[in-house]
Amino acid sequence: MSSYQTLRVTLAVAAKDLLVEQRTKTAFFSSLVFAILVLTILYFARDATAVSDLDLAPGALWVTFSFAGMLGLNRAFLLERENRAMDGLRLSPASATGIFLGKVLGNMVFVGVVELVSLPLFILFYDVPIWRQVGLLLLVIFLATTGFVAVGTLFSAIVVRTRYSEVMLPVLLLPFLFPPIVAAVQLTRRIVAERPFDELTGWLSMLAAFVIIFFFLSLLLFEAILEE
Amino acid sequence: MTRRERAIRSARRGSVITAVALLGLVGVYIRALVYTPVERLQGLAQKIFYVHAPVAWAALLAFAVTGLLSLLYLITRDRKFDMVASSSAEVGVVFSIAMLTTGPLWGKPVWGTWWTWDARLTSTLFIFLLFVGYMVLRSAFNDFEIRARFSAVLGVMALVLVPFIHITVYWFRTLHPEPVLLKPDRPSLPGVMLTTLLISVAVFTALYIGFLMQSHALMVLRDIREEETVDANA
Amino acid sequence: MQTPDNGGYMVAAYIITAVVVLGYAVFLLYRLAKSKDQ
Repeated sequence: MSSYQTLRVTLAVAAKDLLVEQRTKTAFFSSLVFAILVLTILYFARDATAVSDLDLAPGALWVTFSFAGMLGLNRAFLLERENRAMDGLRLSPASATGIFLGKVLGNMVFVGVVELVSLPLFILFYDVPIWRQVGLLLLVIFLATTGFVAVGTLFSAIVVRTRYSEVMLPVLLLPFLFPPIVAAVQLTRRIVAERPFDELTGWLSMLAAFVIIFFFLSLLLFEAILEE
Repeated sequence: MTRRERAIRSARRGSVITAVALLGLVGVYIRALVYTPVERLQGLAQKIFYVHAPVAWAALLAFAVTGLLSLLYLITRDRKFDMVASSSAEVGVVFSIAMLTTGPLWGKPVWGTWWTWDARLTSTLFIFLLFVGYMVLRSAFNDFEIRARFSAVLGVMALVLVPFIHITVYWFRTLHPEPVLLKPDRPSLPGVMLTTLLISVAVFTALYIGFLMQSHALMVLRDIREEETVDANA
Repeated sequence: MQTPDNGGYMVAAYIITAVVVLGYAVFLLYRLAKSKDQ
């Protein structure tokens, strides 16, 4: 399949997913409410005398993003399963690459919107001074989300055919979230503390390496999942 | 020779290797407990090292084998690779359990804490979790081809993940010095202790191989039975 | 500095390892024996 056709498939698959989501909006609003609740609960659960807002903030942000992200990933394939749409996709002439990229794109938009809406809340609740470093923070969020969505999309395809997919997805996925989330938290912590850029380069390169390696690995392996 | 006969022969050989390794284990126990000197600073608990380290090594070996054979399966689609990979995972879980129980038993008296999130311990914990995930995934599929293919994908992903986990924790710790625990440095082991350790490693490696052969043979026999059931019903 | 008295941990660890290893060995033999009968 040519690159142009792959691109069209990607956009078509993403558009389809997002259109379906837009019609019902349940998953989106649930994830959003979930994100707000987690941020709120973590804020009030802390011991304000022992832990400063800035110490708690990065962890709270990423726990929120991870959980909301997993909700999003789960609903993506649940949709497919309900309508046996996966079979339709598999039978279509669309390439595995196009389908994978489309699903990743759709998931990224979904999770991205939830993240971008929770971010101002995060800044508000935890009094985070990020205005000078917004660009860097957005880059970190983008990278970590890409890594986690790419692997999550692959695993969603794997577990969708099992009976307990809602449980299996986190069980399989969580070990793979460890490197990107830890890196993201470390980077967020330093960005929020306005540390000089050289303190970020190590974690940033590890995060980038993880995302690049696992994105391509997931893409390659997706083909094996889609076979029949 | 039929497939069944081959499997039974392999099982027998595996049993012999396991038996020899178990005898070797008795020897290691005696040597470690009686003939190896007690480490002055750490006391008797240091001797846990002679079982803990080799068992961890065996678990790591099992994991690497599962990961590599998963890759080979995806490339060749030869079922043999899948079956050995999953046998290795089963044996790996067994060794991981021994590893994760003996580790804290060594850590508490020697380091003052049951657990510490250093690179090695965290990586081995994740290896265990990945093994369990792998086996849980396999149990969710009845169709052998899908099961093999899907778990192979997980196997490959897991293999690539572990180095990242190790690096993540290592950097976390080197950039975040934790309060210094009562932690002995890695001393170069004097001759007697080193020999005990090496013998133990050899014994546990042999044990891994024996277990692997037996577990694999079992899997083949089970597979043959399933085929016969299918043929009978056809 | 006196050598600490922590032999208990050692005993526990050695016993657990033996139990786990022997347990699995027995499990394998049992399953193989059952298999061969069928």
